[in-house]
Amino acid sequence: MPLSRPDRYAKGVNDRQVVLDRAADAYRALLDLAETVEDEWQYINDLGEAYLPGIVALGISSGAAGELGDAQVAAVDEAIAEIALIADPHKAIDWLSTFPHVVALAVSGDVSATGDGRGEATESGPGRDPDDDSPFGMLRGPR
Amino acid sequence: MRFQDAAKDARAVVYAGIQADPLVARVAGLLAGATAAERLMARAAMNGERTGPEVWRRMFPTLFGEGPGEGPGERPGGADRRLHAEALLAASLEVAERGEAARSSYRGAVVEELTALLLARRTGQAPVKRERRVLFDGVRAEIHPYDVTVESEARPEVYDCKWGARGINADVLNQLDDARAHAADEEIAMHVAIVVFDARRSCELRLDRATAEHAGTDLIALESLDELAGRR
Repeated sequence: MPLSRPDRYAKGVNDRQVVLDRAADAYRALLDLAETVEDEWQYINDLGEAYLPGIVALGISSGAAGELGDAQVAAVDEAIAEIALIADPHKAIDWLSTFPHVVALAVSGDVSATGDGRGEATESGPGRDPDDDSPFGMLRGPR
Repeated sequence: MRFQDAAKDARAVVYAGIQADPLVARVAGLLAGATAAERLMARAAMNGERTGPEVWRRMFPTLFGEGPGEGPGERPGGADRRLHAEALLAASLEVAERGEAARSSYRGAVVEELTALLLARRTGQAPVKRERRVLFDGVRAEIHPYDVTVESEARPEVYDCKWGARGINADVLNQLDDARAHAADEEIAMHVAIVVFDARRSCELRLDRATAEHAGTDLIALESLDELAGRR
């Protein structure tokens, strides 16, 4: 079956935790693959400790605001399918940094500030860090 | 202190060919006007296993979802952004299609070109140059050139560029800090920074473990690239 067939995605809009659990499992598998690069063991573990709890936390949400639409579920599953194809542990390290942000963007929204200064972040206002609306911000942790 | 062109060894000659590929300039130009989300998409696509655009459109519904710019509450210019995201995706996949061996060089060249493009928007008359060494009185010259320099007499800037946080290592940090310190010895306030096309948090994790001196080195990560152009 082609990887990109839409009907392989989970259905329904109340399966946020299930979807994010799948993402967390995929991330753990990627960590296992990356760990075979012994020289980078510390960095790989640092990435896991930093990002895995964030992915799990993205799955914890209640009420209508936490429901995922079909496109969001498909996006996460497509990201999972992508990292499942990786066989090179060095490439896995690159994706350990990228995958959490792809998932966060898929389930949490958008960034509106453009590179050339046009537009503005959707919830920006006085006193807010410009990165607060960033998909990266959700997983960035304390600074 | 003065800047000097780096001597071209065989590796540099090959790499210069990649730097001059129009694809590098096209990707960098699109990234310069991209949102943070678009830059994340480009990073993922250029790192990806699959090169069919539909995969990436599904993975980034906020960029390629139905009717951007048409629904209530959509940001101004949404339709233009969709076109921009499509162009960036197509260019990113062209990089990915260059194959595993070549695309890492292309990605590095893209980050350097993007850095130079953004810097040029801010620096005005001060020339932005590539692959330059910095020479100091009485100091043995570094073998490796700096990727991008802003050769301002008042406040010179040197940048090293990396595709991923994993590229942050002791050699790079030491070279940048040495430049800053030697410039300071000559009473020149040199700005040194590492530009990484990767998430800030990943870069900070890398830097937290680094033993090389880097307190005086700025980090410009994927989310904050526009700072190079003077925007926050």
